[in-house]
Amino acid sequence: MTDTAMAATALGKRFGRRGGWALRDCTFRLPAGRVCAVVGPNGAGKSTLLALAAGLLAPSEGRVTVLGTDPASARARVGYVAQDKPLYPQLSVAETLRVGADLNPGRWDAETAERIVSAGDLDPRKKIRALSGGQRTRVALALALGKRPELLLLDEPMADLDPLARHELMGTLMARAAQYGTTIVMSSHVVAELEDSCDHLLLVGGGRVRLAGEIDDLLAAHTRVSTATGSTVPTPMDGSPDGAPGGLPELAPHTVVESRVTGRQLTALVRPAGPLPDDWRTSAPSLEELVLAYLRNPQAAPLTPAEPEEAAV
Amino acid sequence: MVEYRIDRHSGVATYVQIVQQTKQALRLGVLQAGDKLPTAREVVEATAINPNTVLKAYRELERDGLVEARRGVGTFVRRGLNTTPADSPLRAELDAWAVRAREAALDRDDVAALFTAVLDEHFAVPEDPDGRTDRFSRTDRPDGPVRHSRTDMQDRHDRHDLNPGDPS
Amino acid sequence: MTALALSPDASKTTGHAPGAGWLFRLHRPALYVWIAVVAVLAAGLVWLWGPLTDSSAAAWREYNEFCIKRGSCHYDPDAIVRYKDVYGYTTGALTALPFVVAAWAGAALFGRELEHGTAQLAWTQGLSPARWLATKLIVPTILVTAGTGLLVTLHRLMWSAGDGRIDTAKSWYDNLTLHTNGPTTVAFALTGLAGGALGGVLLRRTMPALTFALTGVAATRFLADQLMPHLWPAVTRVTSLDDGYRSAGLGVDSGLVTATGAHIADPGCGPTSVSSTCKTVYDGLDATGFYTTYHPESHYWPLQLTTTALVVAVATALAVAAFVLLERATATPTRGGTEASV
Repeated sequence: MTDTAMAATALGKRFGRRGGWALRDCTFRLPAGRVCAVVGPNGAGKSTLLALAAGLLAPSEGRVTVLGTDPASARARVGYVAQDKPLYPQLSVAETLRVGADLNPGRWDAETAERIVSAGDLDPRKKIRALSGGQRTRVALALALGKRPELLLLDEPMADLDPLARHELMGTLMARAAQYGTTIVMSSHVVAELEDSCDHLLLVGGGRVRLAGEIDDLLAAHTRVSTATGSTVPTPMDGSPDGAPGGLPELAPHTVVESRVTGRQLTALVRPAGPLPDDWRTSAPSLEELVLAYLRNPQAAPLTPAEPEEAAV
Repeated sequence: MVEYRIDRHSGVATYVQIVQQTKQALRLGVLQAGDKLPTAREVVEATAINPNTVLKAYRELERDGLVEARRGVGTFVRRGLNTTPADSPLRAELDAWAVRAREAALDRDDVAALFTAVLDEHFAVPEDPDGRTDRFSRTDRPDGPVRHSRTDMQDRHDRHDLNPGDPS
Repeated sequence: MTALALSPDASKTTGHAPGAGWLFRLHRPALYVWIAVVAVLAAGLVWLWGPLTDSSAAAWREYNEFCIKRGSCHYDPDAIVRYKDVYGYTTGALTALPFVVAAWAGAALFGRELEHGTAQLAWTQGLSPARWLATKLIVPTILVTAGTGLLVTLHRLMWSAGDGRIDTAKSWYDNLTLHTNGPTTVAFALTGLAGGALGGVLLRRTMPALTFALTGVAATRFLADQLMPHLWPAVTRVTSLDDGYRSAGLGVDSGLVTATGAHIADPGCGPTSVSSTCKTVYDGLDATGFYTTYHPESHYWPLQLTTTALVVAVATALAVAAFVLLERATATPTRGGTEASV
């Protein structure tokens, strides 16, 4: 197993010659063994990114590498579940697993696949078209895990699941990561459900990567600040990176993600570039606050470190 | 065997909760020297948290000298914590004091506030090493850790709009 | 930070490539239907070849030898009608077979899978898109060729058995019989398969792919009919203005021959033995006789083989186009990542 699970360099994808760019200029690196959350609003490009990594689409520009090689060569080692969990409606659950075994000869883990299916009390003779959404998710996950992937790409896997199934299947995925070091990449547009299980974040907004890195490092690199401001003129909420005209001079030289002035109070989310003044009240942001701030301010400079920035004290 | 219960809304980091619950189990005698801690796989399968969190907790316990990791076998308890048996004189004194407090017409909250004040005076407040607790709120609100509630994006947005002057 | 205990995982072993078992699992009902259809049609053709031809031929012989000459006879008209009917059903069914194959290929084999994402499911289960397409084309090609080939062979044998013995038997150049007696029907079926593949990959929807494949077969058949007479040198026969046209085969061209030997169009008057007024018309045109350019029966196999080659070329082109489109749309193995242009 290589030590980079997934990496992209200036990756872009456009559908059709005159279509809009679903993804543009995406660069990031995901080390192996992580559980990564791909977060962003609907239509941000999360599904496109996962489909590119799974080898289902060819990039329009740039490149993406998976497990050290291109996605087409890594097909046998990568598991993928699409957002609509496609399955063969005319087959039964048991036959579907057998097709999985047919397609992955020599690599198929029948025991794991059957265990996931039976944990949901699924009748193996039931036809796929008669299954509920949650049951289909279960079968789709069983197919993906049965091929013993080194990298798992899951597009909104928990969408159809009730809380009990969600907990149980998340536990199964985490156990997989714990036992085999499988890298798991899950997309969602709800931050809360991924916070405890993921240690890496990829924030995609408007087709671009806004944040990429270890969650702990990303949080440590940001600080919420609150201070009194001299001016009472309402200033725009833009996050100019260097306090240029339109920004707030008090916040320079730190990189501002989001700032707001109410009355005489200035609050902001910044990436400190040095020591902060003592009279500023500071606190650590939560993951949701961080994600929201970047999504609300698309002009803020993205943070996709190869090495994490040093967090200012 | 110890079972971990992770409370996502307590504001305490997950790995700290594991460390605390392990120490609690050691104190109560649920875990004794030589016992094997559950594997990371077992813990995450039951709690659906990230495996690295469990490993981080186990590493901290190892740093404290409470457990030791044996390669390929598992993590084992090295020594117990100072347990206070149920019949110790400290416990008896505390019982007597509680009776006197009740007679003095103190209710549960009064006793808790009094006890916490004394606790803070004599024992250091446990520092969260990652600095996650809100420093701002600690100086202004000394009555416990901050509650970060996990809601989805829309709720958070609304909440932010309701409290425009509140930086937290 | 990586997980502590990494159990030895069988993912280190790379298995051999998947065969075609998955294809049969997915399309088992279609396979059974195909076998049943071929069996039923084969049985019908054998029945036609043996008992029905014999009884019809016997009836015709009775009719010709005794009824016409003597005026009284006993012959079995039902045998004649039965032969005609069963011949019509089987020949019609065999003619329709390529269309049925096209519809199934476009809708079930390719279109539906690409529309609902099950093709993509297979591609993420270790089956590369190229291999997926290849298996989906090769296996049905073998089965369709075998089945249709068998039926076409039986049809030819059956037709030959009745040729000359049954008065109302279709001639070798009757449009339906022309194709069901030879390999062009097999080629049309293969065009249906390839058209289904291209339609599916291009349109990624079930019904449009079905329509595309059907249109493809219809267009190819039309093209084949137009081109076939020109794919082999024809024979020209000149007859007198009295006799009119005399041809016994697949017509290519016909008209009047002038004294200079030029071929001109026929005004449609008819042979002079039938209407003598036409003589003046022909004199005005300086016509000396009728000509027919046609193919006699001896040209049957050359025509069939050249047309089959043409149709197979069309099918191959469709299949190649499907592969090219698929390769462009999905990721392909490269040595170090691709810098594809937009």
